Amino acid sequence: MSQAGERAPVASLGLLDATMVGVGAMIGAGIFVLTGLAAETAGSAAIIAFALNGGVTAFTALSYAELAAAIPRNGGGYAYVREAFPPLVSFVMGWTRWFTYMVAGALYALGFSSNFVEFVHLYGVTVPFGETFPELYALAVIALFVALNALSTEASGGAETLITLVKIAILLVFVGFGLPQANPGEFSPTFPNGAVSVLPAMGLTFIAFQGYDLIATVTEEVENPQKNIPRAIMLSLGVTVVIYLLVVFVAIGVLGAGPLAAAGETAIASAAEAFMPALPIVGTGAGLIAFGAVFSTVSALNAVVIGSSRVAFAMGRERQLPGPLGRLHHRFGTPFVAVLASAVVMLVAVLVVPIRIVGNLASLFSLLGFVVVNLAAIELRREQPDLRRPFEIPYYPVPPILGIALNLLLGLFIDPVTWALAVGWLVVGGAVYVALQRRKGEPAAPAPEVGVGVEPDVDPERDVPARPDD
Amino acid sequence: MTETLHIIIAGGGEVGLGAARVLDDRGHNVTIIEPDPSRADYLSDAYVGTVIEGDAARPSVLAQANLERSDVVAALTDDEASNFAVCMAAQRMATVRTVLRTSAPPGEEYDAFVDGTVFPEAFGARAAANEITGAGVRAIEEIGGELGLEIVEVEVTEAAPAAGRSLQEVSFPRGSLIIADAAGGRIGGPDTVLEPGVRYLVAMEADVADEIMNLLRG
Repeated sequence: MSQAGERAPVASLGLLDATMVGVGAMIGAGIFVLTGLAAETAGSAAIIAFALNGGVTAFTALSYAELAAAIPRNGGGYAYVREAFPPLVSFVMGWTRWFTYMVAGALYALGFSSNFVEFVHLYGVTVPFGETFPELYALAVIALFVALNALSTEASGGAETLITLVKIAILLVFVGFGLPQANPGEFSPTFPNGAVSVLPAMGLTFIAFQGYDLIATVTEEVENPQKNIPRAIMLSLGVTVVIYLLVVFVAIGVLGAGPLAAAGETAIASAAEAFMPALPIVGTGAGLIAFGAVFSTVSALNAVVIGSSRVAFAMGRERQLPGPLGRLHHRFGTPFVAVLASAVVMLVAVLVVPIRIVGNLASLFSLLGFVVVNLAAIELRREQPDLRRPFEIPYYPVPPILGIALNLLLGLFIDPVTWALAVGWLVVGGAVYVALQRRKGEPAAPAPEVGVGVEPDVDPERDVPARPDD
Repeated sequence: MTETLHIIIAGGGEVGLGAARVLDDRGHNVTIIEPDPSRADYLSDAYVGTVIEGDAARPSVLAQANLERSDVVAALTDDEASNFAVCMAAQRMATVRTVLRTSAPPGEEYDAFVDGTVFPEAFGARAAANEITGAGVRAIEEIGGELGLEIVEVEVTEAAPAAGRSLQEVSFPRGSLIIADAAGGRIGGPDTVLEPGVRYLVAMEADVADEIMNLLRG
């Protein structure tokens, strides 16, 4: 997965590898970290939230499939939006995608630290500061992966496939042992917090369904891309939803929604403790699941470190972010500055933002990004009717319109604090955009066409960061 | 790495597709416009650029390629007249660089109208000459200019005066440079020895070409 100018990526990923890129990004961190938080919000209806999210995201997946098959660009959603819309819109898209990946990185790092502390605890080891300051381990793991990605290009798609298969296997072991002991009675009452509580739970867990976006960021490396990318996108989503539903069913069925909620981001490991027998070699069976959680959050963290730096790199090359972000390091051959810049935001998010808000933020930006991708699919159909579309959205324009409406609806149920943080990040983005436009010596001409509502809000702040650059 | 260019290629034949591949490899964004549906299919499968199916000489088709957000339009079909039409239309529709493929040596007639011309047959002719004469001497690139600068690949023969000698022993004429051995082993320096049977890349001005050939080929 090397996106790097003249180091041209080689088409080396088959359908299985491409599917696993998507499954790997979705399965794992999301399910381990967010199941407990979803149960806290919606009780046993958390399983309905996961099922509905799968449906909602499928509409956007169709748009991704059409765009990815037609537009051979690494860079995913950002690249497609760049094709369809004026620079300001693609800037906002890239800016929010970048932030989504970084915040997801913070989420996975926090999930890692909780599960790591839990994991060693199962073996009777207490790590220093584990209880009082778990963020320490989140910071350490981010630093480690940022260093790895800054200093060398990452592991190949083949390794990614193996890692993903291990994650799936661990979850299937969990389901295999848990299914006979799951008690359907735990699912009544279905809506302990009211049916509407499903919506915020969906918003919270939505980030867990955005991994297929990563397939779209590596399209140029996929064999026979026009057939395999749409297939991989739909397949990875299907596989993921099935596994999610099985895991959540077992977790709630065994532990009940209340205790699950109490366990927070270590919910799945706690559920495993309730029923896993001792296994050979690993000892306690719950240890295997806790290990799976640690392993999954680590691999997901690695994926989003790559994803975030790649978006920043793509934007730098398009001169939508400062040029140095779009350059490869002369010695390491990596987008060094882009990786470091992403790391700073992840570290700050870990330190100052509570995990629930981190999850909400990641989901909100993911929802907004998906809205824009659906709009891009519609806009391109209008603007470029003769564009070759090897995969076409069935029943167009129903799916993209539904995708837009449902993503917006879910966004509305995310709490105001998250929205405030999101708007704050957009304001910072507006300032960066304006500063870059001025430095280029071009008037920000295309800007007034769109985002008229956003621009005036940006005005007071944007002069401040702009000046040092002028 | 320089900035990513957005490039529109009109005509997805072998020249258009070949150019698209090279540009895609260098990290640029390519859109190809191709009228023939089955060829458009083939181009889609190649997956080096976005493919628009239609005749680029029609403004309604050309407009779909997002001219105002593109840097270059290269009209590379085998029909010179429609290439010219594409370039002219593109310039009316947006500010872009234009490159025109000609089907005869272009001379200077297009200089006032387009930013660059390509005459692929010239490259074909050189390749043909290379194959016809065999492996001893191959023209790699003609830089041209008033000195007639050319880069050739020359195999040193056993009987050549320079065979087996180092560059500091042989006095090559001014206006020539042994760049490297053709395998790209290393850049030539004073202690580079010209081994018989090995091919070397040589840059030379036209008026010393004879002398160089004498020294290397005998």
